[in-house]
Amino acid sequence: MPASIEPADILSIDHLNLRYGNRQILRDISLSVRQGEVVVLLGASGCGKTSLLRSINLLTQPQSGRITIGGEAIFDRSEQGVDRLRLGAKQIERIRARTGMVFQQFNLFPHMSVLRNVAEAPVIVGGMTRDQAEQEARDLLLQLGMEAHAEKRPAQLSGGQQQRVAIARALAMKPAVMLFDEPTSALDPELVGEVLRAMVALARSGMTMVIVTHELGLAFEIADRVVFLDGGEIAADGPPAEILLAPKHPRVASFVARFHESIDMLKPFLETA
Amino acid sequence: MFDPSVITDNAALLWQGLLVTLLYTVATIATGLLIGFAIGLAQLSRILPIRMFGRVYVEFFRNIPLLVILLWSYYALPIFLHVNITKAWAGYLSLSFYIGAFYAEILRAGVEGIDPGQSDAATALGMSSGQRMRRVILPQAIRRMLPPLVGQSIIQMKNTTLLSAITVPDLLYQGSYISSFTYKPMEVYSAVAAIFLIILVPLTALARRMEGPHARIH
Repeated sequence: MPASIEPADILSIDHLNLRYGNRQILRDISLSVRQGEVVVLLGASGCGKTSLLRSINLLTQPQSGRITIGGEAIFDRSEQGVDRLRLGAKQIERIRARTGMVFQQFNLFPHMSVLRNVAEAPVIVGGMTRDQAEQEARDLLLQLGMEAHAEKRPAQLSGGQQQRVAIARALAMKPAVMLFDEPTSALDPELVGEVLRAMVALARSGMTMVIVTHELGLAFEIADRVVFLDGGEIAADGPPAEILLAPKHPRVASFVARFHESIDMLKPFLETA
Repeated sequence: MFDPSVITDNAALLWQGLLVTLLYTVATIATGLLIGFAIGLAQLSRILPIRMFGRVYVEFFRNIPLLVILLWSYYALPIFLHVNITKAWAGYLSLSFYIGAFYAEILRAGVEGIDPGQSDAATALGMSSGQRMRRVILPQAIRRMLPPLVGQSIIQMKNTTLLSAITVPDLLYQGSYISSFTYKPMEVYSAVAAIFLIILVPLTALARRMEGPHARIH
């Protein structure tokens, strides 16, 4: 790609506000994500990072702001609460399907086989034939190393395997951007690796990704940008090395201190290895 | 002395009564399922007036004793509406509306018991609210609803005995009738009780077995 062409914004969020009752969850958030960019959202529990992720595809309805996915606005409301955009449910569903979402608890459909979990939405939402959708679903399961489990039910799989199926299910709708909501937080430690490897492979393939995670290692490995949320506001936004290794904001510094400590403790072992 | 000849001599009457009981049981369960499905979905509606209608319906029929509903619809409703309502219609509609309220509650609880993450996942994939309900929520909810649906239907069969209060010739009504001219209440009512036991014990066992493995899926 010639360097002169700037990749387009796949996702842009402008002046987003979200309240639950009197509690301000997100305060005037603005964030753009370019094609192929991997953004990791960090922050303490309750800082609003999951709410921000869920606002992007309107699983959570913000109070005001503007959200654009693939150049098309899905939400636009003034601070006074006046809708500048009125979309029907059909249009919202169409734009929303451009985002793929992976959840902390996997949320696979327990009454469907693995294959059906992946192929269902392309058929009933995307209008694909069942044969075509199942063929593509098998290809995706192959990519994620789950092809041998296509006929099983989710309950027969480990957490890591379920999460890989959930990634395949989201990819089946050919999304422009993938949203990950703490995808490894519910996993036993020995199962985290297989999911992280799948995410690294996806990032290397050029997928645009927004990831809420506590895995700072993942942020170093694949993030182009780290966005640190504190009290519903963006406290820092920049390349992972800058944000995590030389934090300027005191809250970011205290957040990453724990990580630095664990690295220091590991150092002697890493050097002998 | 227990005199079984009273029962064998009047077996035809008991048989007729049993058929009436079974007819009302099956017909009111079928109608009640339709009502319960509609009212249950109404209770889950995002539209407030529809949701309120569902709620009012359920509370109305759950909080009036069935015997009162039966007597009221047969003796009082015709006066309000200036129409003739046969006891068959009064009985059929009362039992159907009544059990519909209970089925509606079972549906509502079954749907609300499904993890909200299921709806989130379906929504994120671009499914409409109808697709979410049909493809994701209801198939899981119905599995959970089956044991309480069977349980409620068993209660419905027993509730049909109240029909005798408005002189519908069900099993209990025929028993009372036989007893009135044979003067053998012990034999007749024992037979009526035994018939209910023979039919309902296997169904209760079935409901219990359904609760076992199915309940453990999630």
